[in-house]
Amino acid sequence: MLILSRKEGEALIINDNISIKILESKNGQVKLGLEAPADVEILREEVYRRILEENKKAAQESPDDLSALEEILKEKKTED
Amino acid sequence: MATSPETREKRNSANDIAVQTSRFGEIKVDSELIIRMTAPFPGFPESSRFIIIPHKKGSAFMWLQSLENPDLAFVVIQADHLNPDYTPDVPDLIKKELEIDQENQLEILLILTIPPGRPKEMTANLMGPVIINSGRRLARQLILDRGDFDPCWPVF
Repeated sequence: MLILSRKEGEALIINDNISIKILESKNGQVKLGLEAPADVEILREEVYRRILEENKKAAQESPDDLSALEEILKEKKTED
Repeated sequence: MATSPETREKRNSANDIAVQTSRFGEIKVDSELIIRMTAPFPGFPESSRFIIIPHKKGSAFMWLQSLENPDLAFVVIQADHLNPDYTPDVPDLIKKELEIDQENQLEILLILTIPPGRPKEMTANLMGPVIINSGRRLARQLILDRGDFDPCWPVF
């Protein structure tokens, strides 16, 4: 892992077209300003991980037969 | 009567390919129905092509089966079937990526997580819907970083 120190107002440039600027750092929180081309997806790591974990769970737990689900959903629709 | 290889060949559409799956065994897939992911599902970088297999005719439930990973099949359902109020904002960038130029090309599927033996506790992932352009057979999972979307939305 590349480790760099930056002060407020300083930035990093990645690949000519992505810039990450330290806007503010106080009380243990860092505010970043990011500039990147529109096709670069920027996500908070915990959100990405949340989706990854839910995908894994959904894939692992999917049942072999969906007939039971069919019945339950029909009941729900009737209740609605 | 034994079927000669030639006859078997004729019976299949020219576009059919054979795919191994854990759940359904070997299945024949019309290559024109294959859905290509413009970005892989987080957690499954190996799978770039999927096929939709309806649970049965008229069923709301479908399988999203990977062609690269025989074990990988998500249970999915059309979002408006489950929750008509769910209308996530699909960024223009994603629309462009999926070659969507009219709203009616856009289909939203939700991945269901179904705890074994407790189907009533199933949840839908509203934070990571699957956006599909069914005409162009392109799809990707949209991760909604902003907004308050529940990745484990209780269906019941």
